[in-house]
Amino acid sequence: MGGVSELLEVRGVTLRFGGVTALEDVSFDVRGGEMFAVIGPNGAGKTSILNCLNCLYRPQRGSIRLEGRELVGRRPVAAAALGVARTFQNLGLFPNLDVLDNLMLGRHQRMTTGFLAGALWVGKARREEVANRQRCEEIVEMLELQPFRHSSVGTLPYGVQKRVELGRALAMDPHLLLLDEPVAGMNLEETEDIARAVLEIRAELDLAMILVEHDMRLVMDLADRVMVLDFGRVIATDEPAAVQSDQRVIEAYLGKAS
Amino acid sequence: MAIALPRLANREMARSQSDALRLFPTRWSRNATVGLIVAVAAFPLAVTSEFWLSVLLFVGATAIGALGLNLLTGFTGQVSLGHAFFLGVGAYTACYLGNPPEGAPAGRGLPMVVWLPAAAIVPALVGLVVGPAALRLKGNYLAVVSLGLVFLGAHVFKEWESVTGGSDGTSVLPSLAVGPVDFAGIGGLTKNQSLFYLVWAIVAISALACKNLVRSRPGRAMQAVRDRDVAAEVVGVSLARYKLGAFSISSGLAGLSGALYAVVLTYVEPGTWSLPLSIQFVAMVIVGGIGTTMGGILGALFIGALPELVKHYSASIPFVARTATEEGLSLPQLNQILFGLSIVLFLVLEPRGLAALWLRAKAYFKAWPFSY
Repeated sequence: MGGVSELLEVRGVTLRFGGVTALEDVSFDVRGGEMFAVIGPNGAGKTSILNCLNCLYRPQRGSIRLEGRELVGRRPVAAAALGVARTFQNLGLFPNLDVLDNLMLGRHQRMTTGFLAGALWVGKARREEVANRQRCEEIVEMLELQPFRHSSVGTLPYGVQKRVELGRALAMDPHLLLLDEPVAGMNLEETEDIARAVLEIRAELDLAMILVEHDMRLVMDLADRVMVLDFGRVIATDEPAAVQSDQRVIEAYLGKAS
Repeated sequence: MAIALPRLANREMARSQSDALRLFPTRWSRNATVGLIVAVAAFPLAVTSEFWLSVLLFVGATAIGALGLNLLTGFTGQVSLGHAFFLGVGAYTACYLGNPPEGAPAGRGLPMVVWLPAAAIVPALVGLVVGPAALRLKGNYLAVVSLGLVFLGAHVFKEWESVTGGSDGTSVLPSLAVGPVDFAGIGGLTKNQSLFYLVWAIVAISALACKNLVRSRPGRAMQAVRDRDVAAEVVGVSLARYKLGAFSISSGLAGLSGALYAVVLTYVEPGTWSLPLSIQFVAMVIVGGIGTTMGGILGALFIGALPELVKHYSASIPFVARTATEEGLSLPQLNQILFGLSIVLFLVLEPRGLAALWLRAKAYFKAWPFSY
């Protein structure tokens, strides 16, 4: 602990909803460029952790520091400004906007055009639009979204929507990317598309990611380290191979032999 | 040396980002727009009927307000029934600043370059002040609270006699001159012909500004708020900022609309800015096309022209009473029925309104003669 390259430090995070404890004393670190996976049975608190990290939930206790800055107590907009981007388990796209506009919304905080400048559409507003669309085009190319540029996102197949959402998160130029079940409900081909995209992101952007996923093969193939949650508590944090053979993990998933 | 490239046949053939961002990407779309502008400009010269000119003056004045409400309701997803209130604020701002000082109630006699912008700015500021309270609410709750504004306004408009003339109302006679051009009568044109140019020039400018707004950063943020507010926050869009911004701009356009509406009417009283006017604007947005710039104008045209057409042709419509003693539906009753019917039919059959009919026709002819 306490290495110099810690990007994210989560310490003693406890989150309660009324009498239900969703997370209890959760601590972990994510290093720069690391692929950190969070697994656990249904209701273990995996998505709750992501919601705390981008400030949708406010934990009652504990601290979350990204690059030394405290996230607890901020609003989601502030978390986005500090470099946290995410995708949602059930998609959080803007269905009436086309793919490019969805990606451009990822650029929102990298742009400055206000109401008046937007309405006039001269000079800087226009140049800014062109420059940022250029960046979105790179993402379109990387995620192979070319045929869908001008299609309303709501009309696209599920697998493509998942890729658009990943693209929108990347367009934010984040420091930490949160992926909430990126391949849930996908067929094998779509799963492989996403896996390929994630590997490419790692190779090109050296971006730290936190992956919440039920697809164990994907987790074991991609993750550098895995944290296992059960009923809101951390029961193991280790490399994939070590986690797989951990007795407590096996018990959490399969139950204890009586 | 730069090579002159031919203009594009369609948007898919864009060769650069600036190409793709053109408002009128193809030669056809540009020529069609120029044609439309020429047709509108020629209208008051070709059709000198005072009746049709005044109908289109009202349509133009209300179209500006409909563009504003579409920004708020269509693009940001916030339903407001308070639009009539902001029209009133704009109208009375114009009266107070522009009316001659010797009238009753006395105005300030300021020129149009002062009172017209003020008629947009004052309501926009009022919107900024009342917005934070109203925009904490969503959906139907916001509709109900904004409805309260109309009644609050009715009271203020009635009591603040030194500005509004109280229940007796006030005449609207501000100066319509900008430099050497007097829109009360350009050259040898009549007042309505001249006003037509003023009103429709402002419609064109407002429509262009709205179009630019919705295709740039703030407009995308507004649509993100409409489509999914949690996701909007997560990508860094501040809900409060864009809801309030849209509310304020919408109020500003309503004020501009109200000022011109009052100028066309030449006389306004507090009852002018009541709930039915708000509802007419909601109907314009729905019938015209929610979330399309064109929709505001088309909706104003439909809702504005329908009652006049009905009145004009009432002789050939059965079951309509033409005199107070005759049995049958009165004209206002028939209009209410037609409004209600058109809102229901559009919501059920074509929720994206008249603008969608146009887009669908365009999509069809894009692939013509192939049907797929």
